[in-house]
Amino acid sequence: MKMKKILVISLLAVFGVYLTEALFKLDFGRQFFQQGVKDFYLVTTPMKLQVANVVTAIVVNFRGFDTLGEVTVLFLATTAMGSILYKGRHQLGERAVLFSGSRIVTTGSRLLFPAIILLGAYVFIHGHLTPGGGFQGGVIIATGFLLMLMAYADYSVSHIVLSVVESLAGITFATIGLLGMLHGGSFLQDFLPNGSLNDLLSGGIIPIIYIAVGFKVGAELTGLIYTALNEKD
Amino acid sequence: MVGSPVLFIAVPLLAAFLIPLLGMIWKESIRILPGLVLLYMLVLAVTLLGQVMHTGTIVEIIAGWKPPWGINLVFSPFTGVLATLMIGMGFIIWIYSYRFKNVDFEEAKKYFILFMMLVTGSVGIVLTGDIFNQFVFIEITSISAYALTAFYKHRDSAEASFKYLMIGSLSSMFLLLAIILIYSQLGTLNMADIASKAHLMKPEFKILAVIFFIVGLGIEAEIFPLNGWAPDAYAQAPGPVGAAFAGIVVKAGVYALIRIIFTLFDVSGTHQFLIVIGLTTLIISEMAAIRQERLKRMLAYSSLGQMGLVLVAFGIGTEEGIFAALFLLINHAIGKSLLFLSGSYLVYNSADKYINETNGMGKFLPITSFLFALGALAVVGMPPFSGFWGKFFMMSAAAHANMLLVIALILSVSLIELVYYFRVVNRIYFYKKESHIEPKKPTVNAVIAMVTLGVIILVIGFYPDVISGYLHQASQALLDKGKYIQDVLSTGQLLTH
Repeated sequence: MKMKKILVISLLAVFGVYLTEALFKLDFGRQFFQQGVKDFYLVTTPMKLQVANVVTAIVVNFRGFDTLGEVTVLFLATTAMGSILYKGRHQLGERAVLFSGSRIVTTGSRLLFPAIILLGAYVFIHGHLTPGGGFQGGVIIATGFLLMLMAYADYSVSHIVLSVVESLAGITFATIGLLGMLHGGSFLQDFLPNGSLNDLLSGGIIPIIYIAVGFKVGAELTGLIYTALNEKD
Repeated sequence: MVGSPVLFIAVPLLAAFLIPLLGMIWKESIRILPGLVLLYMLVLAVTLLGQVMHTGTIVEIIAGWKPPWGINLVFSPFTGVLATLMIGMGFIIWIYSYRFKNVDFEEAKKYFILFMMLVTGSVGIVLTGDIFNQFVFIEITSISAYALTAFYKHRDSAEASFKYLMIGSLSSMFLLLAIILIYSQLGTLNMADIASKAHLMKPEFKILAVIFFIVGLGIEAEIFPLNGWAPDAYAQAPGPVGAAFAGIVVKAGVYALIRIIFTLFDVSGTHQFLIVIGLTTLIISEMAAIRQERLKRMLAYSSLGQMGLVLVAFGIGTEEGIFAALFLLINHAIGKSLLFLSGSYLVYNSADKYINETNGMGKFLPITSFLFALGALAVVGMPPFSGFWGKFFMMSAAAHANMLLVIALILSVSLIELVYYFRVVNRIYFYKKESHIEPKKPTVNAVIAMVTLGVIILVIGFYPDVISGYLHQASQALLDKGKYIQDVLSTGQLLTH
């Protein structure tokens, strides 16, 4: 048994040294990184798409199909967690948070909650202008709900509402893709006017998709937190 | 024109988001909608496959950016055959599991969403022409698979699922590292673009990337010694899910591995590596299978062994070898799924699923037992069933490539296979039933699904020519790397209309 452990550790060490050496040689940002698709993205995004945030343009426009996949991954993770932790209504146990916070905590949370939601909404609405976007905004919104769930023992969110929001947001994303197919010819093709750089209403389909993603991620993470808090064991 | 390849992904995703809403209005819709979607995908796949055989590969670009800037889907004879196989198996397994969790609405809803996404993710892995997009689809498939493994709470499924989750995450990590290495060297994620520029990569990084890919995808393709999670996952998952693992998910893993080795990089020695690792997987899994006392674990080990055989056939590397590999792949998908589906009914009411609990089921479940025996014959490779042709073509490919040792090993392993399958069939027909086991009659839809698979085995067994034309074109498409690169990179205009 002991020999086995020593063998495993030494093998891992050899692998680790080899990997570290190889990755150090990569030299990110220097001579090897001259070629490839990046220049096209950097030039096209502000000129043609009128989008200030290049990362957003890559995530939602150039590689929007990946983002649709990632949104699905999150949807599946929520579904999976729901199915593993799912118990019939009569089996629901006590909440993991058994007592409310003190008056300072509850009052403070109520004060902060709208501000957090507003910040989240700001982040995903301005995804094409400033750093951030649908995923980040959605996570911020979910933290707002987490705060309320932690502060109040009896705070509850409706699973049906969350599920409807989640589904509608997902349907919006997929439908925009199919509309692109009808208008432009390929799935997820940008079919809306691009507007002008740094306007709130610019970037074609990017803001719409990011708003949908924001709602979806917010609803899904809130649902995940709620399911986990109400777990019996 | 029924549609374009992107609808294989878009339609099921739309349906998956719709199911929770429709389920609130009409409960039956959660069962019907996945079936309709899979049926549509099947019609689309068959139509496009017929079209591709005449007009050549369809490359569809997404979001209006041509490769290498955007993502593209490639429906070539090779990917088309695999996608059609997966969708067809998905549809048949849907028929089988139509009444699954009949009383529990919430669980049924989750099962059908996850199952549909398992099929979609696998189809996406096969169709995509972009390496990162493939990673996303591998994630979709894996997460559905983890959840479906843990579906039954009264078995040891949580342990199996957790094991799968841990090893699967390791696989994702390796894949991501490999993708980062490639992107840092070539600045592109498009498979055809990588293939055309692979010689520009420094050899040390190239070999490192290939190793990472083999480890990461080897976990998905269940090659030895990376397949420790598989028997547990197959045995603990619900019956139809085990069938889907054997018929759909592992095929996607093998495809990804083959695409990396055949198209993306031509590092010398990878073909020999495939043969060695395939033979090791084959021999060790079959030896493990013969020692199993539980039916589903035996089937799982047998499945691993068969995939080893497929890898050996791919490793031969000639057109004949790839043709045989595809034939074996199709036979395994159909035969092993039939075994999982019928085997689930044979041990339906026994807690531990021991093989000796199938004793005497032949009298009580005649159709199910007959189909199990048929599946066993097909997988073992008895003439005149479909498996015979697979093994026959494989032997002749190996003989033409002067690999006589491979032939000898495969024949002796086939004997082991014969022994453990006939042991079960013997028990089913010639033993006295255990008194405490109550046989469970299969539902009508399950019988329809299993009989369909049985008929397919017989049809392919008697007329292998129904599929061999497609498979010849598919194997040519895999070998013709230059044409793949040219097809993808020359796509300028849209091909959707």
